[in-house]
Amino acid sequence: MINNEDIIELQDIETIYEGEKIPVIHNINFTVKSGEFISIIGPNGAGKTTLLETINGLLSHTNGKGFVFGKEIKKHKSEIRKDMGYVIQNFEMDPLAPFLCRDIVMSGRTGKIGTFRFTTKKDWDKVWYSMGLVGMVDFGNRPIGKLSGGEFQKILLARALAQQPRILLLDEPFSNLDYAARMQIETLLNRLHEKYGITIVMVSHDLSFVPNRCNRIVVLDKGSILMDGKKQEILKSEIINKIFNGNGKKK
Amino acid sequence: MINFPLSLLAVSILGAVLAGFVCSTMGTFVVRMNLASIGYLMSHAAFAGAAFGLMLSIDPMIGALIFSFLTAIILGPLAEKARLQSNVVIGFLFSFMIALAFIFLNYIPGQAASGTALRILWGSIFSVTYNDLLLLFLLSFVLIVFIIIFYKELVAVMFNRKLAESSGVNTKLFYFTVLFCTGFAVSLSLRIVGGLLVFALIINPTSTAYQFFYDFKKILIFSPLIGIFSCLLGFYLSLMSDFPIGASIVIVSALFFAFAIIISPKRKVNKKKRIRLLKTS
Repeated sequence: MINNEDIIELQDIETIYEGEKIPVIHNINFTVKSGEFISIIGPNGAGKTTLLETINGLLSHTNGKGFVFGKEIKKHKSEIRKDMGYVIQNFEMDPLAPFLCRDIVMSGRTGKIGTFRFTTKKDWDKVWYSMGLVGMVDFGNRPIGKLSGGEFQKILLARALAQQPRILLLDEPFSNLDYAARMQIETLLNRLHEKYGITIVMVSHDLSFVPNRCNRIVVLDKGSILMDGKKQEILKSEIINKIFNGNGKKK
Repeated sequence: MINFPLSLLAVSILGAVLAGFVCSTMGTFVVRMNLASIGYLMSHAAFAGAAFGLMLSIDPMIGALIFSFLTAIILGPLAEKARLQSNVVIGFLFSFMIALAFIFLNYIPGQAASGTALRILWGSIFSVTYNDLLLLFLLSFVLIVFIIIFYKELVAVMFNRKLAESSGVNTKLFYFTVLFCTGFAVSLSLRIVGGLLVFALIINPTSTAYQFFYDFKKILIFSPLIGIFSCLLGFYLSLMSDFPIGASIVIVSALFFAFAIIISPKRKVNKKKRIRLLKTS
């Protein structure tokens, strides 16, 4: 359920990569209310991942002001991150990687538990609960490198959920997945939003997979916000047709 | 086989065990964090540093520490931001460090220079001093405490640095801790294993353990065990055959690795999976 608390607030944000002169994103102004489900869409190179990384503080913005939970991102990033789950774009995992799924899910709680503190039974309960939410309880003792793309994505999602986040940042959660796996992840996101009211900010370049529960779309192009509005309005607009060639595929 | 006094043997065996422990423990992090190239350079910088120390008639270990730390400080940030093309930099710096080492060795004062220089180059288990043992023991203790206290952070960072950072882990701190501890491990083991081969003791035992386990905890337990066993067996081989100690240790650890690749259950599973996929496609 959406309430009036501005959980993310960005004012004139500009981010430039170290050693470069041209900003990847600029003049970014938008707020996210607690409980919203937002899709940030745009073609490759539009600055979507940079925007997510700026919100998380992984990238430091060079201009403007950014607030999460009412706290300035630059000054309080380690504090903010404890309540912000982040799922990075599906990456290829070494099949011999020496990690079990349960340990990866637990690693999501690292910041939350804090330095000089050991994991407790309570933490493990949260890990198994998160794995249950994504339907992966049976995979706890499986090696991470042996999972399919969809299963791996679910474990990354469970990792973020184990953090018990107030905000979930998802970077291309459907990329490199087959149709069935995409449907599973979409259903999962809809359920998480409906049942737990987590604020979700999702980045995607694919218009054909905008989850039902997503109520707002922000269109990003060439580093700035082109449109920001309700899903139905945005998807019908001509600008979207221009950017995505009218059929949901990138130009 | 020559008969050695028991105390000398005990010091040498303890030195081999501790060097095996510190190097292969650091190996678990170096291998996983793709720091092999920078670690390789650090070990050769330590060799040049040891030669520099000998030239100035100071403890070679101090020279080794200074040179390996300087490498970590200068190249660490570059490697971290992926601005280091490892094959180019290794090609350039490896030869540069070795050239520096040979120049320094050439200027070592006194008649005993050639023997000392060779010990730094090939390693000599009997040149281990009580001071070396004490430092190796301290580093081993620090590493054990570090791993126990920061195990959860280490798993997070070893899996994916970006994800770990996004969850609130100070990954930069762990990255540089790993680099500096590797510098320590290399510099303290230099006299035993030798400057040219010490890096093999970091890579080989971990690579062997990787062939058998999917659990990072088991890698952290078995990699040092394989490292220690390689050192002890290498020491025995060196005594029996009069091979240089460093070369013996590396040969043993390399044989373990080769054997592990042949019998690795992980690779068998992957092979079966590939055959199954080929049949179905």
